Amino acid sequence: MQHLDIVDISARYGSHQVLRGISLGVDRGQITSLVGPSGSGKSTLLRVLVGLLPPETGHVSFDGQRIDYSNKKNVKAIRDRFAIVFQQYNLFQNMTALDNVTIAPIKIRKRNRAEVIDEAEELLAKVGLKEKMRSYPDQLSGGQQQRVAIARALALKPELLLLDEVTASLDPELVSEVLDSIRQLAAEGMTMIIVSHEMGFVREVSSTVAFMVDGKMVEVGSPADVFENPKEARTREFVNKILQH
Amino acid sequence: MGYAINFGQVFEYLPYLAGGAWLSLQIAFLAFCGGLVLGLLGAFAKTFGGPILRRIANAYVVFFTNTPQLVQIYFLFFALPEAGILLSSYVAVLIGMTLNAGAYLTEIQRAGFSSVRQTEMEAAETLGMSRWQQVRYVIVPHIARVLFPPLSNHYILMTLGTSMAAIFGVEELTGRALNVNSETFRSIEVFTITGVMYILVTLVASAILGVAGRALFRAKMRIV
Ligand SMILES: Nc1ncnc2c1ncn2[C@@H]1O[C@H](COP(=O)(O)OP(=O)(O)OP(=O)(O)O)[C@@H](O)[C@H]1O
Ligand SMILES: [Mg+2]
Repeated sequence: MQHLDIVDISARYGSHQVLRGISLGVDRGQITSLVGPSGSGKSTLLRVLVGLLPPETGHVSFDGQRIDYSNKKNVKAIRDRFAIVFQQYNLFQNMTALDNVTIAPIKIRKRNRAEVIDEAEELLAKVGLKEKMRSYPDQLSGGQQQRVAIARALALKPELLLLDEVTASLDPELVSEVLDSIRQLAAEGMTMIIVSHEMGFVREVSSTVAFMVDGKMVEVGSPADVFENPKEARTREFVNKILQH
Repeated sequence: MGYAINFGQVFEYLPYLAGGAWLSLQIAFLAFCGGLVLGLLGAFAKTFGGPILRRIANAYVVFFTNTPQLVQIYFLFFALPEAGILLSSYVAVLIGMTLNAGAYLTEIQRAGFSSVRQTEMEAAETLGMSRWQQVRYVIVPHIARVLFPPLSNHYILMTLGTSMAAIFGVEELTGRALNVNSETFRSIEVFTITGVMYILVTLVASAILGVAGRALFRAKMRIV
């Protein structure tokens, strides 16, 4: 049985059909990368998974349990187990970095405050923001905000972590740091779905690469298969284009 | 030419005028607070209400922002007694200014509501916040910060607007200035001093609001 099983998901924004029958299986402790051209629906798929956009057709199961996205309780329960880092970070502007990280564990999970703060400080230090804990998002660079968003997601100790373009605005030094953290998380058994445009990164960390175009899953396989030996013409085209850059 | 400036006589009335200024402050403060509540209801109605509520709120705003405040107060002052409701001039002014403020503050607060970032709400939702927690931790702090400056401005405008209470015989600062003027006939001195008092009242209010704003919103919100 697959840890996360996405079956034939379709979704739309108003009259705009974005996902057209997406299926994807993810094993526990694996890193699955979603790649594809801009606008292919990668972020939208993540939004469906966390219950921000109800799927039109299809279903998602987690550990064999079907998630009923029309059921509030069910969605809430799934949000206790999933965490997402948004492409635009979506930090709370009225809170410091530390507050952004601690608010959910303290106020929503009702965990011990001192313990949460210790953990949050550790997490922020891990992503290189020890000195910025008391800064507000508008005082941080894009890459710094992104790392706060990563720390915020990790503070929830999710079983499934969804990362949307997390390396896009990081400098190379930090990319390797974030990469290390991601690998370590995977080693600890966390399952991740990563959206990324950085093929080097994708190749290095993923166990599975899923290539999407126009809301359809074109090809799913190991990084070696998808990058060196693509079966589909559309994949080959995409890979070639990227390798030229 | 024939007029010799002489403040001496008018200075004797300073405590009397200061009492008037205090009443002006009171009227402005009470009407502002009332208007804030009305405006909150109006903004809720316009943002979250059904078509009927929205239309009522709209009509209210359109009516009060498109007629002179003076006319609104005259209406309360003269029309309501006909309906058997007797109001002292103080109360009529207070109600009139409250209703007027409510209309403007509806618009200001509605703009604050709609400035809440959808992205933050989505983050709050996926972190597992309930509706109430979203309001408490994300919406209210954000709105408070966005609304503080325009609300402060409106408060200052209302302080100055209280002077029209004089027309209805309320003894606030302008009312008392008129009284002093008719006793001393020192118009230039009286209205110079009155002007200075209005400036002081608004400057002090601005300063207090400025300090409060910085204290509240530079420190923004502390959780830890
Ligand atoms: N809130 C929205 N309302 C309407 N349409 C949307 C919305 N968000 C995204 N879309 C549309 O849905 C399609 C897929 O968007 P999505 O953000 O999922 O793409 P993506 O694969 O993540 O792209 P990128 O690599 O640029 O982030 C796009 O055509 C986009 O214009
Ligand atoms: Mg995207």
